[in-house]
Amino acid sequence: MKINKIATAIGFTLAISATVNAGVLPQSQVQSQWYESAQATLAQKQSQAQEEQLTKAKNVILFVGDGMGVSTLTAARILAGQRDGQLGEEGLLSFEEFPYSAQVKTYNVDAQTPDSAGTMTAMASGVKTDVGVIGVNENIERGDCTTVFGNELITTTELAEIKGLATGVVSTARITHATPAATYAKSADRNWEDVSDMPEGAVTAGCEDIASQLVNFEKNVEARFLGTDIDGIDVIMGGGRRHFLPKDAAFNSTDAVSSVEGDRTDERDLTAEWQANYPDGQYVMDKAGFEGISADTKQVLALFNESHMQYEADRENDIAGEPSLSEMTAKAIDILDNNEKGFFLTVESGRIDHAHHAGNAYNALNDTIEFAKAVQAAVDSTNPEETLILVTADHSHVFTIAGYPKRGNPILGKVVAVGSEEPSLASDGMPYTTLGYANGLGYRDLGDETDADAAYSEAPVVGRVDLSAIDTNSAGFHQEVTVPLGSETHAGEDISLHAKGPGAQLAQGVVEQNVIFHLVNQALELIEQ
Amino acid sequence: MKLVILSLALLSPLASAAQCTIDSQYMQASYKVSQQHEVDTAVHTQQFTLWRTLSQAAQQDEQLVEVWQQLSNQQLRPIRYFVQDKRGIEYQPSEVKAKQNFSSKQQLVSDELLAKMTLQSERGEGCDKVQKYSLKQADTTIEVSWVVNKKLLESMHITKPTGSQTIILQSVSFDKQTVQQQFAVWDNYQTTDYADIGDNESDPFLAKMINLGFIEHSAPGFYDTNGKTLKGGHHHSHH
Ligand SMILES: [Mg+2]
Ligand SMILES: [Zn+2]
Repeated sequence: MKINKIATAIGFTLAISATVNAGVLPQSQVQSQWYESAQATLAQKQSQAQEEQLTKAKNVILFVGDGMGVSTLTAARILAGQRDGQLGEEGLLSFEEFPYSAQVKTYNVDAQTPDSAGTMTAMASGVKTDVGVIGVNENIERGDCTTVFGNELITTTELAEIKGLATGVVSTARITHATPAATYAKSADRNWEDVSDMPEGAVTAGCEDIASQLVNFEKNVEARFLGTDIDGIDVIMGGGRRHFLPKDAAFNSTDAVSSVEGDRTDERDLTAEWQANYPDGQYVMDKAGFEGISADTKQVLALFNESHMQYEADRENDIAGEPSLSEMTAKAIDILDNNEKGFFLTVESGRIDHAHHAGNAYNALNDTIEFAKAVQAAVDSTNPEETLILVTADHSHVFTIAGYPKRGNPILGKVVAVGSEEPSLASDGMPYTTLGYANGLGYRDLGDETDADAAYSEAPVVGRVDLSAIDTNSAGFHQEVTVPLGSETHAGEDISLHAKGPGAQLAQGVVEQNVIFHLVNQALELIEQ
Repeated sequence: MKLVILSLALLSPLASAAQCTIDSQYMQASYKVSQQHEVDTAVHTQQFTLWRTLSQAAQQDEQLVEVWQQLSNQQLRPIRYFVQDKRGIEYQPSEVKAKQNFSSKQQLVSDELLAKMTLQSERGEGCDKVQKYSLKQADTTIEVSWVVNKKLLESMHITKPTGSQTIILQSVSFDKQTVQQQFAVWDNYQTTDYADIGDNESDPFLAKMINLGFIEHSAPGFYDTNGKTLKGGHHHSHH
């Protein structure tokens, strides 16, 4: 009752004050650059609301930054600005300029803090499921092959193929890794990347490894949906060659790192099988091969590394060379847009997650910046009226931006307070970094090391270290942690979704992650209502 | 195995140095390490085996095997095998690790360190030619006995004011098949990329890794090319 009265009173006051003339605002306020730019933002939102709202798209591109939580976006945006000579905080990553966004709840059916398998399955199928499983619903028993049958989910990639669209999957991780796998495979365990990773019982019970499912995608979809005739995934680019080659040095590529590159114990060479299925398709494994792919190529299978592709900062250390994520994205669109019906493309930056697990903010942010470049490449090479671009993450990490650093303070640096030139000291008398992790391996200073994973060779370092003489901006610096663990972990808070193009206006509010499937489906009309 | 070596030695005392080197490319050598600290008069000893092929080197003790593979671009790629679990962790080669010389993995003493040392004496001929080297750096003295044409460390003695360490060759064989078989056994262990550990908390072996982290294994004989870091034995890494 009281509350109602107060509400009425407030409404009354507002009604009166609504007539206040704009002239009461001082010039210094109205002419402030903050005021003006915010007003311009609102005007833009108003005209945007007046525009005709297209809902149907010819093409959809779904970008996923693995482990790219909101703190990662903020820190990456600041780093990108500072590299450009700006203070940093005022800038935006390419996709942060998109007109629509939503906040996304990431939990898995059985897990508060999720993993990439469950989350990407939700995005690809519209159904949340358990942690660790690919393309199957929550009735699955992780690791039990026999529970797969009858619990398979159909994905946007499959539906787009059936509709006759061109499809693509691009990732900097192994192409059989959880995120890309959830677009095309059904598996009781995310780790069943090739036959040697599976328990014998699972093989004899009839479960197919993830790499094999990728190469047999066309056949499998046609068997599942009798009467369909699809042409297979048109563009496949990523790492993970080991899961496609027999465990036999004779099959090593010139890019091999291991003495025996292939892991398969069933003597199958899936690259050869793929080539036999698609005689006009092109299989490539290095930068030169990538550059040789022309836009009129029918189908592409590109496996640039025997495991994950390199961190963006580490690409030069690859034996035979690798393209960047933005280069792969542009090339994929070049090929996919040949299909007059349109295309559906999934692009993953898979190693933001890995750098965070290693407790190395530098590579997580550097890969996020490259991811933003890849999104920009997609914006630049598509028609905004016919292409819906969705940019999201699968889950967050325990990564924080802390303390009271002054404006423009180097984001990878030590906290220097407003009005000060010297690093602030903690109660232990030592300086501290703005960026940190709640758990993980903790401090290490590997100098100019660009491979975040080099950190794993030593035990966790508990707690605080004197950073006075350490350059925390270097690629090889690993931030301090509170809880010592052998690997930093995912975090459970929400992540963001950014949308642009027809149907983008439906991305709003706080939504469950499986809504993303419906945004894609709505725009492409994959399922006839 | 010993018989074979003996007969080889008998047959070819004058064999060319180059031939000795070729014959010793595949090697299994076991070493005993003794350590004595100034404060603690007890001598700590342990054993390890050095394995090598043309492009791989491994140091093996009861628990753990550390393998280094040399890649075509001269980077080194480390793999750790946990013998009891029959599991392995594969690391990416990286430029920092590549700076660790492959010769220090294959021979325990790097070519660079040997080049810095002073030749004190020489005995024997051909395959059995042994050179004694020494080096004094600050308060550390290193003495090496080196079977030069087999690229084989016979012994190494390091003395510091805080203690001393001795590595002595116990036995050696050069049977290519045995060496290849051993590397094949390890290669058949289930391996995981270090990058994938964080996403595998449901795997008991990897969960142990996530929660405890890696216990740094430092088999004796890990010296940087400056002969500076002279750690020995098992220890937890602290900074
Ligand atoms: Mg992923
Ligand atoms: Zn992860």
